[in-house]
Amino acid sequence: METSQETQLLNNFERDSKWFHEHTDELRNKGFVSKFVAIKNNNVISSGENMDVLIDSLEKRNENPSYLFIEFVHPKGTIIIL
Amino acid sequence: MKKIPLEVYYFADNLRIMAHFLLRCENPHIFMPIEAIVDTGSPITIIGPSDIKRMRLSKIQLNKLEGRHKPINIGGGKIFTKVLEKAKLRFGDNLEVEIPVDFPIKNEEKSIQPTLLGVDFMLKTKAKLFFDPTNKEAYFEIQD
Repeated sequence: METSQETQLLNNFERDSKWFHEHTDELRNKGFVSKFVAIKNNNVISSGENMDVLIDSLEKRNENPSYLFIEFVHPKGTIIIL
Repeated sequence: MKKIPLEVYYFADNLRIMAHFLLRCENPHIFMPIEAIVDTGSPITIIGPSDIKRMRLSKIQLNKLEGRHKPINIGGGKIFTKVLEKAKLRFGDNLEVEIPVDFPIKNEEKSIQPTLLGVDFMLKTKAKLFFDPTNKEAYFEIQD
């Protein structure tokens, strides 16, 4: 992969991350609480209660999970101490 | 002086500093974008179980990873990791850093521990961290 393609990949990932973090409440309201969601082009393209289910689903759609933004939708009010 | 922009987002309703980078490794072959929480409370950089799943590495590949095998205490629990000694992290177009990265090889299947960018990264790059949570602004400042 050329440098410009790598930059594009990272830029797309950052865009989808931004969209996820700005729309988390909306995703909660749509029933994605406690699920993993895969985001592409500012849309949820698949979801699952665990990563194995989600990755199987993505592979069936010929999507590469390595290149996608995937995150868990925490319930409202969750506190995580790292 | 390089300025590496960071994002400040609510992650699980808690304000966090987020870094985005490309993670690259030759063996096993890994190439993927990563979102990590910048964690000045973590001495190490550690990949979260979800990101390990995204890599689609088999348990055999994970167990074959070279490097030290060690237990890590995290969030009140214990996980076992191997250290990938020569992981490359690329930030934007102007910074690539080679640092050891911990990979969890035994952990709870449902673990949602995020990837953490630790103080080891800041020591390696001699980075200073600016964080203004009120205005949601953060960046690394790195000497050339």
